Amino acid sequence: MIRHMILRNVMYRPVRTCITIIAVAIEVTLVLIVVGLTSGMLSDTAKRIEGIGADIMVQPPSASIFMAFSGAPMPIEIGQKLAQIKNVRAVAPVLLQFNSTNGLDIIYGIDPESFREVSGGFVFHDGRDLQNANDILVDDWYAKGRKVKVGETLHVLGHDFNVAGIVEHGKGARLFVLMSTLQELSGARDKASVFFIRCDHPEQTAKVIGAISQLLPHYEVRPLRDYLSLMTSSNLPGLQTFIHSMIMLAAGIGFLVILLSMYTTIIERTREIGVLKSLGASRGYIVRVILSETIALCLAGILLGVAMSYTVRWLFLTAFPTLTIVVAPSWLLRAAAIAIIGGLVGASYPAWIASRKDPVEALAYE
Amino acid sequence: MEPILKTENLWKIYRAGRLDVAALRGVNVDVYPGEFVSVMGPSGCGKSTLLHVIGGLSQASRGRVLLDGNDLAALGDAGRTLLRRHKVGFVFQRFNLLPTLNAKGNIALAQHIHGDGFDPHRFDVVTRMLGLTDRLDHRPSELSGGEQQRVAIARAIINEPKIVLADEPTGNLDTKNSENVLGLLRQLNKDLGQTIVMITHNPEAAAYGNRVLHMRDGLVVDGASAN
Ligand SMILES: Nc1ncnc2c1ncn2[C@@H]1O[C@H](COP(=O)(O)OP(=O)(O)O)[C@@H](O)[C@H]1O
Ligand SMILES: [Mg+2]
Repeated sequence: MIRHMILRNVMYRPVRTCITIIAVAIEVTLVLIVVGLTSGMLSDTAKRIEGIGADIMVQPPSASIFMAFSGAPMPIEIGQKLAQIKNVRAVAPVLLQFNSTNGLDIIYGIDPESFREVSGGFVFHDGRDLQNANDILVDDWYAKGRKVKVGETLHVLGHDFNVAGIVEHGKGARLFVLMSTLQELSGARDKASVFFIRCDHPEQTAKVIGAISQLLPHYEVRPLRDYLSLMTSSNLPGLQTFIHSMIMLAAGIGFLVILLSMYTTIIERTREIGVLKSLGASRGYIVRVILSETIALCLAGILLGVAMSYTVRWLFLTAFPTLTIVVAPSWLLRAAAIAIIGGLVGASYPAWIASRKDPVEALAYE
Repeated sequence: MEPILKTENLWKIYRAGRLDVAALRGVNVDVYPGEFVSVMGPSGCGKSTLLHVIGGLSQASRGRVLLDGNDLAALGDAGRTLLRRHKVGFVFQRFNLLPTLNAKGNIALAQHIHGDGFDPHRFDVVTRMLGLTDRLDHRPSELSGGEQQRVAIARAIINEPKIVLADEPTGNLDTKNSENVLGLLRQLNKDLGQTIVMITHNPEAAAYGNRVLHMRDGLVVDGASAN
């Protein structure tokens, strides 16, 4: 009976119903896309850093594990000290730089020789390694996404680079230039943002980390084997806050729209509530009618929101092929729960008001 | 025989701003099972207020209301809700059907709230008696005033209430539909023994009942009890 009544009620005001459903859908989409983008970006970065093949990563004190966010560079001489530590086979200094022309990319400034020793070298799809100051390497995804070919000119960081080669993806960044070039361009002469270290044997990682920590007490020294598992938003306080804020914002939209929608609904149906009361409907019955209607609206919004999320994801991936957006099933459930809980909280005040209306006054309502 | 409804020195005082309005000022009435009582009196004399209080829609300020042995004054909101659900059927001047439900849905809703679920037999008997069998799929907006009021009467009696309380049920109807609705109420009273209290302005309508109760200024001035 209640189900029947809800269906009729929500169809009675189609515009308001649609707006409410769309608002809930936006809420769900916002949650899924924000989380999908950040976790996609994180796992993507993590995989690429793991893919470098180094054993240890050394960063300046208090650097973020999400390397891209930490600009603070270290003097390059530290690399020589690190190389002298027992069981260290190779040290590759890397300077990081953001490039925001046409999307957001990280550029690695590398020394080809040491980077090769640490990582085992690039797999070339086309072209050759870095040789000249204005050479740039791009990975195959970037090349495909931006339709870049060897020998073409690529404009990044306000500089025209010559695409020297296309390499297999998964070696830290999608763009590589000579470290000296990047140092010059970013005014960071003789600086490096991170050192990647390869040990003689992977089992020596812990021992080498111990030795580095003694040598450089406050520096961030991390093993790369577990990097992917470390690379979650909960290990990134700033990012965690950002995600939480976005979720709160999304839930706030749902909450307010449902609150307003159900509030106007119960005002408009004041007399009907009086009728229900005259028939002997309890407060609980009236609350149930209103909350059931809310859940119905939320469910419709969730379905639309999931469809919208996949559409938005598809649009994003079409526009920016190098992006990764992970819509995880667990987050589908969480987004649905956020929408329903936000909706129920929003509807609880109108439901409470409705359940407490005086029946005689309600029946006299025009 | 015990009255099904009895009020003792019933007062209802409304607080309108700083003024106190005494809408009922010591009403004593008895209604016996099977009676059809018409309530008459000038506008503002407290007829609707009396109906609301004896039906448990609002609370008395003073005095007692005994409905089927229950003292309404002693009941809280939840108790009065139960009483309305199980013992009272209201019929209003403005029909008060839910616009989103069809006739059948409006009647079934009362059964749903009552809690015993849908009783197809009772539904059949009632809708046939009120001549609604071919109007059941229509929404209120697709029904005439007389038809809407018949649906409202069906809704009021579907759960076999002890008493039907009707507040000017023909106030919004033309003569022909009024006669039809009043005839049906009389039939309900005669054939099913349904106890009815009906407010009306119209002496002709009042004559459908078997007793007329006159009110003035919050008091019953005539016909307070059958004798
Ligand atoms: N909610 C209210 N607040 C204040 N005064 C009211 C209220 N309801 C009714 N009254 C007053 O109580 C008196 C009786 O009203 P009512 O029972 O509606 O009369 P009737 O139905 O006989 O026309 C009137 O004077 C009316 O103005
Ligand atoms: Mg009245």
